[in-house]
Amino acid sequence: MRILLVEDEAPLRETLAARLKREGYAVDTACDGEEAMFLGKEVPFDVAIIDLGLPKMTGLELIQKLRGLGQKYPILILTARSSWQDKVEGLKTGADDYLVKPFHVEELLARINALMRRATGWSKPQLECGPVVLDTTAQTVTVAGTGVELTTYEYKVLEYLMLHAGELVSKADLTEHIYQQDFDRDSNVLEVFIGRLRRKLDPDNSLKPIETVRGRGYRFAIPRTN
Amino acid sequence: MRRALSLQSRLLWAASLALAAFLGVTGYALEQAFTKSALQATRERLRSHVLSYIAGSDMNVRGTLILPEVPPDSEFERPQSGLYAGVVGPDYEWRSTSTLGRQIPFDFQLEPGRTQFDGPIETNIGGVYRYAQGVAWEIGNGKEVKMTFFIAQSETVLKRQVNVFRRTLFFHLGSAAAVLLLVQVLMLRWSLRPLRQVANDLGRVERGERDSLPDRYPRELSPLTSSINDVIANEREQRTRYRNTLGDLAHSLKTPLAVIRGQLDHVDADADTCKTIAEQVQRMDDLVAYQLARAAASGHATFSAPIEIEKHAEAIVTGLEKVYAGRGILCEFEIDPQARFYGETGDLLELLGNLLENAFKWAKGRVVLQVKRLNPVGTRRPGLDICVDDDGPGIPDDQVETLLKRGVRGDERVQGHGIGLSIVQDIIKSYRGTLDVERSPELGGARFHARFEATR
Repeated sequence: MRILLVEDEAPLRETLAARLKREGYAVDTACDGEEAMFLGKEVPFDVAIIDLGLPKMTGLELIQKLRGLGQKYPILILTARSSWQDKVEGLKTGADDYLVKPFHVEELLARINALMRRATGWSKPQLECGPVVLDTTAQTVTVAGTGVELTTYEYKVLEYLMLHAGELVSKADLTEHIYQQDFDRDSNVLEVFIGRLRRKLDPDNSLKPIETVRGRGYRFAIPRTN
Repeated sequence: MRRALSLQSRLLWAASLALAAFLGVTGYALEQAFTKSALQATRERLRSHVLSYIAGSDMNVRGTLILPEVPPDSEFERPQSGLYAGVVGPDYEWRSTSTLGRQIPFDFQLEPGRTQFDGPIETNIGGVYRYAQGVAWEIGNGKEVKMTFFIAQSETVLKRQVNVFRRTLFFHLGSAAAVLLLVQVLMLRWSLRPLRQVANDLGRVERGERDSLPDRYPRELSPLTSSINDVIANEREQRTRYRNTLGDLAHSLKTPLAVIRGQLDHVDADADTCKTIAEQVQRMDDLVAYQLARAAASGHATFSAPIEIEKHAEAIVTGLEKVYAGRGILCEFEIDPQARFYGETGDLLELLGNLLENAFKWAKGRVVLQVKRLNPVGTRRPGLDICVDDDGPGIPDDQVETLLKRGVRGDERVQGHGIGLSIVQDIIKSYRGTLDVERSPELGGARFHARFEATR
């Protein structure tokens, strides 16, 4: 999951970025509107967290421009002004949720999670595809009721695939959404992760949850259970 | 307290009194002048009769007076005609036929050449005016006979004349007074019209139908109206500036608080310390949020434009539906299109936003927003009745009071709750409204009922 974090206050930006990375997100940070604009139109983010009070370009302008360019990823606004006028304006401009400063990081994580789920068409925090259930709040994965131990990166890869269950996810997509910008994309770490996931989810090779579409990418093959 | 007399009545009263006094004095003076001149005319007439009598009379050598055979006026021969003549001399007295039955006081003698006019003198039948002239006739051998000629006229003649004059005078003066009064009323209304216009325009500004007073008043009023415009503009500008300053202050206070909170996750201090700091940060944040919101709520404003409610409610609900998209809550509106909020847009958004968000948080599936206009007869500015209902668990009666107490959080689990409600309460209070928490009759959950009475 790749997140754009736009915040002009360095301490807050760094603290948040560090925390988000620890949670397994790929985070790109920007400290003003212009830098954010540059990143926002180039990189396919899953969520953007935008502070409204930004130098060079206000948060609202930034959101408006990103939406104008057709970027559809969910946007969560951070605002110090708790006034409804700001909230309403932000939501009208194209933001999907807001959080008033100061906030609990847990609250932010929960909101991001919910936004990403909703953006991919899941309404409940549990992503269910047949026997495979991924709980985005507890960050646990069970197969037919049995818990499966996953590393943070494995979890993130599976979460991304399951959020887009049934869709083709290219390797480039996956790399971009899971890893930082500076990550070495040529490595075959991704293939290693996929291999490990397959073994952990489907030790006796009967479910075949993750399909490889040759030369194009992967697909989570078990249909969503509603 | 009794209301001071209106300008129009003051002017009207003053002008009417002045008019009455002026016309009274004029009437009196004219009547006096006329009476005097009528008296003078009477005197002249009587004198001419006396002279006619004297001219027509003669004295024979024995000293007997011979009066004219035909009197100067036939009235002297008709009894009680009102015109009387008489001659008095030593051992001689004559009265005209007209004096029959009437005792006219021809009872003194004057030296020759002297005249006397007096009256009205009371007689047995009404008063008379009397003119007397003394005459002497020489009757040879240096002897002369002194006679006094009298003419009297009944005062009714003069009275009638004066009365006729008075009636005519009063009729004309009265008509003039009525016309003048009417002209005065019209003049006053015309002169005071700009003032009424100002009052009307000010009312329109108050109701928010226009921004400022127009620039079309007479020269004398324009300093006043332009000052009022300045005051209005100032008030609005001041409020905006105040608001922006507070917003900036909020921003500069809250970001550091957010940083502290973020840093707490990384501090290697023991859990208790972290918890205490976190709690204190939370408290500071609540205080900042609450006090700033309270200060920014501008409250009841005299010169505020009416705000349409539906548009803003729509914006808020669209936003909330986005935020609470996962819950699938259906929000319905029942908004009177005539309903208006008389105040700041920010306050309305704050009020609706907090109440609606609250309802969205607690609702199982439905939220209803009802807005009614309160417009009893004889009110200057209609009131407003806002109900936000949800189908959530509702609020037990015994907790309503606690919930409405300032700063107490109704729910510790949901962020920001409680402060929102105290802000709502403060806004409602500043607009002199009331907030009640009830059970929703239709949905079964909570109903937050805000009410702003109409202004008289």
